Amino acid sequence: MHWGGALFTLCLSASLAASYTNNVPSAISGERYNEDLFIRPLLDGRVATTFTFTTDLLEDVLRDSESSGQHYTLFPLTLGQILEEYSIAELHLTLNSGKWDYDHWGYPDDPSVGTGAELWAWMADGPSSTIDERWTGLRNALAGLFCASLGSLDMRRTSSPSTVFPISSSPSTPHALRYANLPSENVCTENLTPFVKLLPCKSRAGLATLLNPQRIFDADWHGLNIHLRSTEKGTELKLGVQAVFDPVRLSGGRRRDWSFRLLFDRVIHNSCSVAGSSVVRVQVPDGESHALSPTFVADDSAAAVYNLITQVPLDVSMSWPYEHTFQYPRVHQSRLVPLSVQRTLHGSSQIHGLLFIALTNNGQNDIVVGYFENLPALVTLWMHTMEIKVDGVKRDDLISNVTYHPHHVLANGQKSPSTFQATLTIPAASTLHLSMEVSRAFLKYTEHPPDAMRGWDLPPAILFPVCDPTMGICNMRNTSTDVRGRMYTPSLLIDLPTPDFSMPYNVIIFTCTLITLIFGSIFNLLTRSWVIVRVED
Amino acid sequence: MDASHGFKDPQSLSFQRPIIRRLILGSYWVVILFAIPFWWRLTSIERIALPSSRVHAQLEKRPVFPVNVQLDGSSFQGRAPVLASELSDLLAQSTRTSARWSDLDIHVTIDQNPAVDNQTARSVYIVALGNVTVVRHPRHLILSQHDASSAAKIADILMGLLAPEAPSRVQRVVQYAKRYRLAFTLLNEDVTSDELIYNWDIRAALAGKCRCLCAHIPLAEIVPDHISPVLSRLNVIHDFVIESQVQFHAPLAFEPVQIVSENSTFYGLTPGDLTVFVNSAEWTLSSSVSEDPVLHFLLFIPSSSRQPLHILDMQGSPTRHAVFLLPQWGGIYILNHLKHVGTRKHLTAVDLSLVFSAFANQLSALLGVSDLPHGVKSESPSTLSDWQLDTVLRHRALENIVGTQQTLHSIVKLVDQIENMPVDETARGDVQNALTALDQAYRTTAEPPLTILHWSREALSLASHAFFNPGMLALLYFPAEHKYAVYTPLFASIAVPLVVALGRELHAWRREHRTTAGN
Repeated sequence: MHWGGALFTLCLSASLAASYTNNVPSAISGERYNEDLFIRPLLDGRVATTFTFTTDLLEDVLRDSESSGQHYTLFPLTLGQILEEYSIAELHLTLNSGKWDYDHWGYPDDPSVGTGAELWAWMADGPSSTIDERWTGLRNALAGLFCASLGSLDMRRTSSPSTVFPISSSPSTPHALRYANLPSENVCTENLTPFVKLLPCKSRAGLATLLNPQRIFDADWHGLNIHLRSTEKGTELKLGVQAVFDPVRLSGGRRRDWSFRLLFDRVIHNSCSVAGSSVVRVQVPDGESHALSPTFVADDSAAAVYNLITQVPLDVSMSWPYEHTFQYPRVHQSRLVPLSVQRTLHGSSQIHGLLFIALTNNGQNDIVVGYFENLPALVTLWMHTMEIKVDGVKRDDLISNVTYHPHHVLANGQKSPSTFQATLTIPAASTLHLSMEVSRAFLKYTEHPPDAMRGWDLPPAILFPVCDPTMGICNMRNTSTDVRGRMYTPSLLIDLPTPDFSMPYNVIIFTCTLITLIFGSIFNLLTRSWVIVRVED
Repeated sequence: MDASHGFKDPQSLSFQRPIIRRLILGSYWVVILFAIPFWWRLTSIERIALPSSRVHAQLEKRPVFPVNVQLDGSSFQGRAPVLASELSDLLAQSTRTSARWSDLDIHVTIDQNPAVDNQTARSVYIVALGNVTVVRHPRHLILSQHDASSAAKIADILMGLLAPEAPSRVQRVVQYAKRYRLAFTLLNEDVTSDELIYNWDIRAALAGKCRCLCAHIPLAEIVPDHISPVLSRLNVIHDFVIESQVQFHAPLAFEPVQIVSENSTFYGLTPGDLTVFVNSAEWTLSSSVSEDPVLHFLLFIPSSSRQPLHILDMQGSPTRHAVFLLPQWGGIYILNHLKHVGTRKHLTAVDLSLVFSAFANQLSALLGVSDLPHGVKSESPSTLSDWQLDTVLRHRALENIVGTQQTLHSIVKLVDQIENMPVDETARGDVQNALTALDQAYRTTAEPPLTILHWSREALSLASHAFFNPGMLALLYFPAEHKYAVYTPLFASIAVPLVVALGRELHAWRREHRTTAGN
């Protein structure tokens, strides 16, 4: 009985796996397009959705294009041109808004969740044009393509931390990395519109129908990401949208039931006919009485799977029928990630401050993790004041491989960012406190932004898995408790000494008055004629 | 006047004498007067004089291209001398009367043995007798007996070849650029349509050979070249970069008119619709990577619910044309009813043959290639003849020269108009070099047309470089009024005591003068 059931399930899933693939686009040779939506109900009643649109460009297509021009079918031409023009091996651009709550939401499906804009690219370091020229060109091209202020990711914010962002392929020619982040960049509709235009079916059919800007940008956390990497097969382009919705808020604070209609205000009517596969996956929470409709066809690894090619129109909905009102979970619940991070900036003075990082190991094993800061020249870290404490006891043995590049003045008078990188060991079930003093920069009058009183955003710090150079593997000791991918801390807001912007004119007026006063008295002394006035008594 | 109360009389003090006081005041004014030229020099904007007289003189000039036409003495026999003088007169008359031929200076000569003269054959046009009227490589015109019967007929054909009539060329032809991007796009109107085309054999269609000789295509059916012959001749003038993409969802920005006739229903594009056909908001056609001008060629496949889609004429009745050209932008082909494609969802090079022949025509039209005159054929019809290529070269050179003249003229006018505009050494150098290049271009009119194109291009790029010189914009947005506003608090308050003191002294001096005169 059991055997039969298992066998039946096996056959069913095999036949279904075959049916996920769309047989029509066999006419498109050398390019493939797949789309995927992963929905994850979270413990706090929110719903994390991850759209992934993958386009594969096989190597022979790329090679061919060098001789007879660039010809693309599914791959967006505009991105292909950027790839070719700047000899890019790998490109990652993310535009996010909000703070990813690792403790309650777990790891994101796409690790790039840092607030604001983040761009990093591995480019061929050739003699035809220097790497910095390519980087400038790439920034401007992407800024134009996605209507984002990526032009401000200039040399004041650019560094090259190749251990934090390693190249995924191993190219034969020399490549160089450029990384920059801009936490104050906001993501909005004007970025999503050009983003959707890169998809073959745009928002007319397929999963992209659900990308309703009014709902996506209303979500508690939302972000766009573009990942382009060279693989052994060719080039892989992944366009992604992540959003964390709050159905409890949408339903007026009562229930956590959700559906496509509720979350996106849309349902899917047509499938994208050029997609090789088009799949909606819903993670089913275990141990709870929930209802998922329509009935799903396959269940692999605790996820309900809907195949869009055979199942349109589709409006997936999930409800908890026996739950009258959603009860928020208690605060002291087990955290979903092994490591919790807090990063704050202390000090009320406008000149000095204290950067304070608290890393809490929630597990029962020691965690080794890399720590990386890429700070613009707004703040200077003072390494000699660095202190590492665990339970109030100084533990200098827990930090290793410290590299710090203070900012230096570039040829054009701008200052490069300072980077700080270290490997930290966090003992089991304890909190490591890392603190160091910072001094804040005194900016020139013209360097302040229009809203100078708002303060400046400091980019998030990054925690990354460390590679053991002797073992050649990255943190594989204990995968269940160690850091899986990059983690981002929230960004910081820093208050710099801000001048009174009417000052220059005041100074001019005051100086002029003073000079006139001195000039007038000396001039009077020199040219006055003195007479004796006889006073009649 | 006595020292009874212990005070010294101030008038007796050496520094209280009026002459000293006046000297002090005078020295203040002398310093100020001497400082003014320095101040003027230091705050003025550097404006080097441009060679404006040379620029104005250039405006009058037009290049004249000498053209040598040789009559083949061996084929025309005894008629040749008479024909030559008749032709000379006719051609000279038409160049005088018509504006479009005024750039040509045509000489007609007789050549007894043209085959020997290989060196000059490159830039000499040879007219000979034959059976049919054709143009032959290089620069040969073979006339049939009928066409060669009178000098007027020959003159007509020659003028048609050397200076073809092109009434709409100014609006239609794209501006000259060294490099063009040719962007071919397959547009499906609706991704949910049944007639969705997934792919096209663009490489084969461009290269002109059918790579996939599938079973249902007869082997004899060889796809003719369309685009590549045009490009291979024109690449002496321009560089071309080719790119292509497929868009699966490209909606129109308007609703085509539905027309129901007695036996069919179809959709129509009115002439007004054609002007707004390109939905640039929804179709991602342009790229931000390069600044080279792009020529777009769109193959548009209407959605199955909108088929067939026809272009309507002014009266609203459908035309048989499926293709239209947007001046200076590109061409569009509307492909209806893919019956022969069936369910293939894929356009082979054979399917695309008609489309790309239309695109090739549009490309030639956009790049300013003129057709051969009526009644004249080409021996190798797929390639451009030398006659046509020379016309393009002459037109392009003329366009560049006129463009340079206008740009230089605008620079001079602009600098004259805006007094705050600085003119530095590089801007003047560019203007001078552009003028030199122009002179070079005039001097080389007799040489092969490529040389003059080279010099005219050089002149145009130098002139635009001067026009867009960033140094000329430096102080444009920081006017002198700003400076005065900042410095007035200082200047005014210092000037007041100086002027008042001067006035007082003048008054005193005059009164003194009057009293001494009165005494």
